Amino acid sequence: MAAIGNEPTKPDTSVDKTVYKALGLSGGIFGASPCAVDVKDGKIIRIRPLHWGEKYDFQSFNPWKITRNGKAFEPLHKSVPAPWSLAYKKRTYSPNRVKYPLKRVDWDPSGAPDSTGPGGRNPQNRGKSKFVRISWDEATDLIAAEIKRIHKEYGPLAILVQGDGHGECKMIHAPHGCSTLLFDKMGGFTQQVRNPDSWEGWYWGAKHVWGKGFIGMMAPADNVVKDICENSDMVVVWGGDPETTHWGFRGQLASRLLFFWNQVGIKQVYICPDLNYSACIHGDKWIPVLPNTDAALQLAIIYTWITEGTYDKEYVETHTVGFDKIKAYVLGEEDGTPKTPKWASAKCGVPTWTIKALARDWAKKAVTIGHYFAGGMARGPYAHEPARLEVILLGMQGLGKPGVHQTQIAYTGMPKNIIAGGKDHMGTFGNLVGTPAGERILKPHRGTPTAWGKQMVPKTLIEEAIKKGTVDFWGTGGHEEETANQYKKYTYPIPKEDGGTEFHMMWTDTPCRQTCWNCGNDVAETVRDPKIECVVAQHPWLENDCIFADIVLPTNTTLEVDDISPCLRDGDSFQSVILMRKAIEPVGESKSDYEAIVEVAKKLGMEEAVTEGFTVEDLIHLTYTGMKFDKIISWEEFQEKDYFVIPVSPEWEKWPAGLFNFYKDPEANPIPTPTGKLEFYSESLAEAFPNDEERPPIPKWIEKGITHDERISSKRAQAYPLLVLSNHGRWRVHAQGDDIPWSKEAMTGKVRGFDGYLYEPCWINPQDAAARGIQNGDIVRVHNERGSVLCGALVFERVMPGAVSIDHGARTDYIIPGRLDRGGAINTITPEGLTSRHAAGQATTAFLVEVERVSMQQMDEWRRNHPEAFAREYDLASGLRFNAWVEGGR
Amino acid sequence: MPRYGMVVDVTRCNGCYNCFIACKDEYCGIARPGYSAPQPMTGQTWMKILPKERGQFPKVKQDYIAIPCMQCEKPGCAEGSDGAVYKRGDGIVMVDPEKAKDRPEIVSKCPYRVIYWNEIEQVGQKCTFCAHLLDAGWKEPRCVEACPTGTLIFGDLDAPDSAVSQAWKRAEAMHPEYGMGDKVRFIGLPKNFVAGAVVFGDKDECAKGATVTLEGEGREATAVTDGFGDFEFEGLPGGASFTLSIAAPGYMGQTFTVKTSKSIYLGDIILEKSS
Repeated sequence: MAAIGNEPTKPDTSVDKTVYKALGLSGGIFGASPCAVDVKDGKIIRIRPLHWGEKYDFQSFNPWKITRNGKAFEPLHKSVPAPWSLAYKKRTYSPNRVKYPLKRVDWDPSGAPDSTGPGGRNPQNRGKSKFVRISWDEATDLIAAEIKRIHKEYGPLAILVQGDGHGECKMIHAPHGCSTLLFDKMGGFTQQVRNPDSWEGWYWGAKHVWGKGFIGMMAPADNVVKDICENSDMVVVWGGDPETTHWGFRGQLASRLLFFWNQVGIKQVYICPDLNYSACIHGDKWIPVLPNTDAALQLAIIYTWITEGTYDKEYVETHTVGFDKIKAYVLGEEDGTPKTPKWASAKCGVPTWTIKALARDWAKKAVTIGHYFAGGMARGPYAHEPARLEVILLGMQGLGKPGVHQTQIAYTGMPKNIIAGGKDHMGTFGNLVGTPAGERILKPHRGTPTAWGKQMVPKTLIEEAIKKGTVDFWGTGGHEEETANQYKKYTYPIPKEDGGTEFHMMWTDTPCRQTCWNCGNDVAETVRDPKIECVVAQHPWLENDCIFADIVLPTNTTLEVDDISPCLRDGDSFQSVILMRKAIEPVGESKSDYEAIVEVAKKLGMEEAVTEGFTVEDLIHLTYTGMKFDKIISWEEFQEKDYFVIPVSPEWEKWPAGLFNFYKDPEANPIPTPTGKLEFYSESLAEAFPNDEERPPIPKWIEKGITHDERISSKRAQAYPLLVLSNHGRWRVHAQGDDIPWSKEAMTGKVRGFDGYLYEPCWINPQDAAARGIQNGDIVRVHNERGSVLCGALVFERVMPGAVSIDHGARTDYIIPGRLDRGGAINTITPEGLTSRHAAGQATTAFLVEVERVSMQQMDEWRRNHPEAFAREYDLASGLRFNAWVEGGR
Repeated sequence: MPRYGMVVDVTRCNGCYNCFIACKDEYCGIARPGYSAPQPMTGQTWMKILPKERGQFPKVKQDYIAIPCMQCEKPGCAEGSDGAVYKRGDGIVMVDPEKAKDRPEIVSKCPYRVIYWNEIEQVGQKCTFCAHLLDAGWKEPRCVEACPTGTLIFGDLDAPDSAVSQAWKRAEAMHPEYGMGDKVRFIGLPKNFVAGAVVFGDKDECAKGATVTLEGEGREATAVTDGFGDFEFEGLPGGASFTLSIAAPGYMGQTFTVKTSKSIYLGDIILEKSS
């Protein structure tokens, strides 16, 4: 028998310090689920949830409580971060970190723009040739000289800033957009405008039905969480995956809300091609739908309601315009094709009886449509159609009445705090405007939601702009634009007399275009165009587009800097503000994204212009005062405690839920459309684009069009019969987090191939796998005319036949740049085309491919023909390594 | 002195792997002298997650079972180990990182396979309920702290009011037949289900309200189909044989024989009108 009682003496678990960090990856200004980081001997030893009451009395937060059937949904006493937040030290200590400045070996700026060979710029070798170590001094000299030369030659707008997107949550050392602090003071720049890539359908579609909304989603969304909990009978979760995508933003409160709905009997129906991570845990019913055929299903539901008279006729009469046109289309009076369940079933794969049962159940109940971003539902070709039809579905059942909403589950609609009261959840940042350093602090962050460059190119059209030299587009695609902006035509470049020019230098701090945007393979091709004379990347990791740069500046992670993060987005138990102290010294020679820009500015005599004389400490303090946190906690106490939980407003229950006021009295409370009502038919679209068959004035089923041919009815489907569902990643946020070795060990993390390499999973139904001789764990080639991506087969009942599911955002690891990727970056072969002709969004899910098993012979052949790709050093746990691309790098 | 135990409520698990990650964060590459040698950077799962997928498209269920060391009352791994493996006063089973060196046989003594051989350190290693943290005053191990859903319930089994004691009453051992006195028990371990969807063929509509009867193994159960025509019998034993019959007034009934070697989805069952 075991000995008893010889336990060791009390262990030393002391730490040198504990700092607090918002470790979500949505980036910018909104913060995340806060974590506590324990540091000892200069190393991160532990990352754990923050216990809200660690330094305060929990009751002082005025915790909210929502009840139904005698059961309560309440805040936890701790934050609920995502798994990668807890694993974040693996990102900071990643073998893929850029440890010092790099220059591409065969990029010699003394050469002419298109010069090749020794002494040339060799643009043709971007993505092929390796890098050498240089000093910060050399790097900033080179960059300063290039900026001066480009400015002199072409003018300031010849520099394209790719400075937008998700990233770490840091106000001052913003992961994106710091370069605009410099370029804005030097005459401007060309802005890559980030289209709302997770909201495409709502942005380009739903806005035309219910107005601007919140990036096209329902607004206001005040108190919808309470109202759904109290009044909804059913939530139809359509496409998005709250168990997954909430992680990147605010952690795991959405999960707790879904469990609460399970507990109190609010039925959850999931409509998606995959049994996603929410559906498999919370779903009472899974209705699998072929990727991007949701519009057919929606039309058949409308058909059932109209023919059975089970929609809210009075509401439609008083709250909407254009129902007659929808009715005529749905009943087939317009085109001779009634949109019956049978018609829809052939397109979407849902049995006719299920469509009818869903429509009837829905008509009897108070039903909310839930999302967490669009999933497969509104990110594909013509995404505006299902997104508009969804609003019509809600409008036909009394949108705004208790229990009837659209909701981004737990992302909005949580109880308001004392400072956000009365404003939307972004409102508090407005406090910064007009304060001493407010504009300065907000500037880097503006690049993500706002189109503000003197000259602009939508992010979806960068490659086209390089190829053709000019592009036209309608609407900037900036997140914050009004609906009417979409009727305005823009041309790049702007007129020469206004400073317009093609861009000849690219500056990226968001080097993931290949793996997150449309047709990533085009990046490899266009970045080699000789007219792109210089490419600078600043990034903590040597990955994706960085490989195509001429100069790479090593930047660092949040654990290596002092900063502040107001965590004001809904979706955790409480909102908070975190004084994020530096945990460890920077890795290698890395500097923060902001410090890197200051280093460049010094060489241009622009340091004072960039810093405006403020130190980082000043800027942190000015954020605190500018956002009026000084009204609720003193600077001294904040510095002592390092975090503050913003109490819930004692009046939080008074805000009417969602569009309740509009529901009650649409005349007195119009929505922001030209008519003030839900526009099932959009006169504005009809006027602006009278001949647009891809986004007509009423939403329709678009089988194919000039922009896309990605249906199973297509001739292309004979060669490429499977539809890819590409969700936001389970184990990443876009491209972030792909180097964490621990999450790769999860079943759906990565698939280790016969060659030991970690492949991105491709979910395939056993039926489709068997037809192709594919077994679980096989390496497979997913391909179409745009290229090939290698994945690891996950033969899985959780995806429907006819569809394969591959998360986007894996890091590229090209065997043949622009043609064959081993890293699993599925976006490299997504359609080049936009959401539709006049909607400059991306269509990066629901496209045709074929999947085939990769034999050892095939792999050997690639190995023989492309030895350099296979010779690159690879980390069996983390994947890509910095030194694989650096001559002599360790 | 407390007697530590854990209940894993599988019905609350969302499969986020926070417990798995927090465990690695605590131990990978970090020695806890007297408690554990550094865990290798990858490959060991002191908190193991066993994903269980059941059923067939489109009726599929996914469970995740979090499996730490069971902290057995009668730890097989300790037998004959001469103190290299020992049970503490609070019931936590420890593998002494020094005394257990070069003794791989300790690993193979665990029927749950939750002791892992560390090639670098040449020692067997496993979950300690974060004993080094408990000894320093922590109330719960890292995995429990990191769990956002309340799946992992930890505490003193001898305190009758503790959450773990309360949950314990509803929990079952994963392998009671081992007779090891596991101090980790489970709620909602997935069993087998039989399900299907019934359709009225003549109307092309889901058959709501059909009566479905399952008989066999000395039991009989009845279900009524819902608005989608769906029925389900959950929690069935494995390896059993049942007769399942479906009846709806005005329709010809159907009967199936189902074997629960795994969970079974019978698919869409089309009932024809009786003549």
